[in-house]
Amino acid sequence: MSASAQAVVRARTVEDVAVGDVVVRHRLAARVIHWAVAFSFFFCLLSGLPIWTPVFGWMAGLLGGLTVCRVLHPWAGVLFFAGSAAMFLLWWREMRLGPRDREWLGPKVFRYMSFQERDPEVGKYNGGQKLFFFAVSLGAVGLLVSGLVLWWPTSFPRLVSVAGILLHDVTFILFAMAIVLHIYLATAAEPGTFRAMTRGTVSAAWARLHHPRWYREVREARRP
Amino acid sequence: MSGPSLEIRRSSASLWGEKTGMRRLPVVAKYIDTTTCIGCKACEVACQEWNDLGIVPTRQTGSYQTLPSLDAEYWNLIRFNERETEGGLAWLMRKDQCMHCEDPGCLAACPAPGAIVQYENGIVDVDPTRCIGCGYCLTGCPFNVPRFHAKTGKMAKCTLCVDRTQVGLEPACVKACPTGCLHFGTKDDMLALGRTRVEQLKGNGFEKAALYDPPGVGGTGVVTVLAHGDHPEWYDLPRDPQVPLGVRLWKNVLRPFGALAIFGTAVAAFVHYMTHGPHEPGPPGEEEP
Repeated sequence: MSASAQAVVRARTVEDVAVGDVVVRHRLAARVIHWAVAFSFFFCLLSGLPIWTPVFGWMAGLLGGLTVCRVLHPWAGVLFFAGSAAMFLLWWREMRLGPRDREWLGPKVFRYMSFQERDPEVGKYNGGQKLFFFAVSLGAVGLLVSGLVLWWPTSFPRLVSVAGILLHDVTFILFAMAIVLHIYLATAAEPGTFRAMTRGTVSAAWARLHHPRWYREVREARRP
Repeated sequence: MSGPSLEIRRSSASLWGEKTGMRRLPVVAKYIDTTTCIGCKACEVACQEWNDLGIVPTRQTGSYQTLPSLDAEYWNLIRFNERETEGGLAWLMRKDQCMHCEDPGCLAACPAPGAIVQYENGIVDVDPTRCIGCGYCLTGCPFNVPRFHAKTGKMAKCTLCVDRTQVGLEPACVKACPTGCLHFGTKDDMLALGRTRVEQLKGNGFEKAALYDPPGVGGTGVVTVLAHGDHPEWYDLPRDPQVPLGVRLWKNVLRPFGALAIFGTAVAAFVHYMTHGPHEPGPPGEEEP
């Protein structure tokens, strides 16, 4: 069995280990949770966009009509939030911001996007990823709270309903923009990343380039 | 929901092309004179009968009001309020129903294409086959009118008897009213009638009498004569009803610009790829610093 295949088998249960020239980045449980969140998000998208604007009304037909969307969207939202909550519990320890991670709110992120950023101390997640993690976690809470208000329109005062609509919209718009960037960075922009979420493994060269300190730690087997 | 013979002026969740615009039709209105209403509830019964609505059990709340509020199966309710005024105790009866706003907040908020329509003659109507029961219309309505069927979740409200008025009949409530406090006709005629009545009332000592046709929603298809026009809240009417700013912000700003922002992010990502290309490890042996 090749190192690559062995790594995939090991990735069922463990992560942060090197198998030959391949490094296990996400164990199966983490990947399953990620895709549960992703698929429930896209179901929310498909059922929510036609309610948002008639421009996307054609999407309602894919699910069986606008009323089906109205009935299923909140439940899909509950699944999405449950997945997001599980993801938060799974990753929040690893996402704790280090002293220098806040720099990613500034010009560092532009250096990163122009591939100029070279920081040998980037661990398993860089500061941008950590901030993104907390931003989307907060977004999931915002979508849940405002979504619950919209789910029971007759139970809240008008001002609360209006606030719910606005919060759901603003959060969704920011969330969708973040997801577009997330998908771009994880596929076209940084080849070799997507497989971390499918097979669970990355190449040693990828790890060295994007997460040098994590790579060193895994090599030295200092991480569990 | 009426047949196709009425021209549509506005339709919910439509971008372009909702207006049929074949015929010009005069804008109609219902006239309500609260000062000659005796609270007999004939209009309530006529509404139930004509619209084949179900039986809603009345609840005794120590008032002359049939129900505490409108219902999906009760579109016309005489509200009752007692007030101490300078001229003594006033019994205020006011016919509560959909106001058929010139600028309907329900229609603005509705996300289902064609579920709420405004006909060329100003009547605001619901198509239950298109309604998805989301309740956004209630958020948009400054008069708290839309109600939802317990079983289907569909919105229901007064249609201004569009099935009668489109064939030249007056609404059922107007037909039934024994005191003549209800009239139906063109909006211009009803406004003229209302102004005349307000002048009469002022002459009779009700100096604050007024015609309720709130400009915040562009005027309403139901114009109401109030003896105490300086206190619309005595009649459970909002003083200055408006379509909530948040609904406008959502439909006119957040929605188009939000969609553009999301689309723009995708375009930006594509441009980034064209100008920067992929960020990938160099060939083996060529270590990055």
